[in-house]
Amino acid sequence: MAAIETAALTKKFNGFVAVDGINLKIKKGELFALLGPNGAGKTTTISMLSTLLKPTSGKALVNGHDVVKEAAKVRQSIGIVFQDPSLDDQLTAMENLDIHGRLYHMAGNERRKRIREVLEMVDLADRADSIVKTFSGGMRRRLEIARGLMHSPEVLFLDEPTLGLDPQTRRHIWDYIKKLNREGVTVLLTTHYMEEADALADRVVIIDRGRIVAEGTPSSLKDSIGGDVIKISCSKPEELKKAMEKCECDITSEPRITEEGLVINVKKAEEVIPKIFDISAKNSIEVKSITYKEPSLEDVFLHYTGRAYREEEGSEKDRLKMRMRVMRGRR
Amino acid sequence: MIGDIYAIYLREMIRLKRSKVRLITTIVMPLLWLGIIGNAFNSAFQSSMKIDFISFLTPGIMVMTMAFTGTISGITTVFDREFGFLKEMLVAPVKRESVLIGKMLGGVTQSIFQGVVILILGLLMGMKLVNSPITAISGMLLTMFLVSMAFVSLGLAVASKMSSMEGFQMVMNFLIQPMVFLSGAFYPVKSLPSWLKWGVKVNPLTYGVDAMRYFSLGMNEFSIWLDLSVLVAFSFILIAIGSYAFRKS
Ligand SMILES: Nc1ncnc2c1ncn2[C@@H]1O[C@H](COP(=O)(O)OP(=O)(O)O)[C@@H](O)[C@H]1O
Ligand SMILES: [Mg+2]
Repeated sequence: MAAIETAALTKKFNGFVAVDGINLKIKKGELFALLGPNGAGKTTTISMLSTLLKPTSGKALVNGHDVVKEAAKVRQSIGIVFQDPSLDDQLTAMENLDIHGRLYHMAGNERRKRIREVLEMVDLADRADSIVKTFSGGMRRRLEIARGLMHSPEVLFLDEPTLGLDPQTRRHIWDYIKKLNREGVTVLLTTHYMEEADALADRVVIIDRGRIVAEGTPSSLKDSIGGDVIKISCSKPEELKKAMEKCECDITSEPRITEEGLVINVKKAEEVIPKIFDISAKNSIEVKSITYKEPSLEDVFLHYTGRAYREEEGSEKDRLKMRMRVMRGRR
Repeated sequence: MIGDIYAIYLREMIRLKRSKVRLITTIVMPLLWLGIIGNAFNSAFQSSMKIDFISFLTPGIMVMTMAFTGTISGITTVFDREFGFLKEMLVAPVKRESVLIGKMLGGVTQSIFQGVVILILGLLMGMKLVNSPITAISGMLLTMFLVSMAFVSLGLAVASKMSSMEGFQMVMNFLIQPMVFLSGAFYPVKSLPSWLKWGVKVNPLTYGVDAMRYFSLGMNEFSIWLDLSVLVAFSFILIAIGSYAFRKS
């Protein structure tokens, strides 16, 4: 039995399609990442899987239970760390966990034992009796992860667990996530940080505008776009693009013009770069710079969506686009 | 079910214990009301009525405070929504009803606690109970429970419709305050001009104040059965509206 399985899972808000027919199959024990820019539909997907939102259509099973028909069973078997903070900051760390344990029907001695365990796991044992208001952002996040694990769920949902945290804290959180996954917890993580999915996930699904655009292990995704990625900043990218399409070199996918210039996927960059210089010299195109590297998940995103992946700037634009689409949808 | 309700209730009680400001205002505000207004009007009042003003005023202040506290405790649901804790409750394997009941009982406890504090202050300042202490206290507790339940539910209903604190201020200023002033909490209803009396009669709080005075002082404008019927009906209607609104939100 899969830990999570969805079939054509869809959510519409007043006609605007936030999640558009998503099919997922996540095995037990996997560390799975849902990667996509802001507004892609990640939180909406998690909300449906955790029974907070009803799907408009489609089906989802979590630990074998239907999220609509067996919501109570789903809830008992999952843990969740929401994108937005959800601790009670007037309560101590211990009290937050204790109330959580009660809500999940844990007996008194079991609660006490488990509180100690989860607090130790996230290195907060010495702050058990401090009021959460006095905690830093990173400490709160760790406490939320501890709380999500408190009732020993089979599946843990983490919605952007490191959003807004500094790089060092982020690395710590990554370590905890890896650790709990090694202990057998299935993890479904969402993120819009490429390197987070790359560093953590066994498997990644890239979603954009509510649709799955690519799926695989981080390395298979990178391999799928083949070899190296060359970026050329030059005076006439259109002309160079046409010329390169005719050139006899190992280009693995159609060259694309992006905000960063002409992007070409090739088998071996070392062999193609000299040709680029030749071709641009012949066509009197001025090359300002050429860079190449092994593909990252950014390149995978670019490859499948035709848009550059920008974490901050891109998100602004995406939100605008979304809003416009919503408005159009209403008419 | 009971365990779930208790978990929600426990959290409300811890929060109440932590908020020192709320506890202090609970004591200071009625002290000012009773101490200043009670004393200032005492002699003028006593000559026209058979009773001293502190005894007359204390039940009124109790009802007023419970109306305010009950409504304000509805704010905590808005806080929960803003600060995300509501999600933690909604994703747990507990029924929505348990969350609702736990929150209501939390608000009612707080509200009754305030009522009792004011009663004790009133007694210390010279309020005289006419009925036997058992009758007085059990009758007043019943009235306090009904009044608190009604206003906590009102708070919940309002909270699930409103997204900002300003909205709350509006409700307090334009709904709860007029209700308090037209309830006879501060003066005998008899002394009002007749065109204002209809406002008093349709105001459920009037019957709360009247029941409270009946149990403590043995004085009443209406029959106690009318008082209690109105309070029960008012509570039930508001509980229905409050729980409906809460579940919808
Ligand atoms: N309650 C809602 N009502 C209307 N639109 C919503 C609602 N929740 C999310 N959306 C829209 O659905 C899209 C996906 O949102 P979300 O799932 O939060 O994306 P992500 O978590 O990937 O950033 C966005 O365009 C968002 O504006
Ligand atoms: Mg999100």
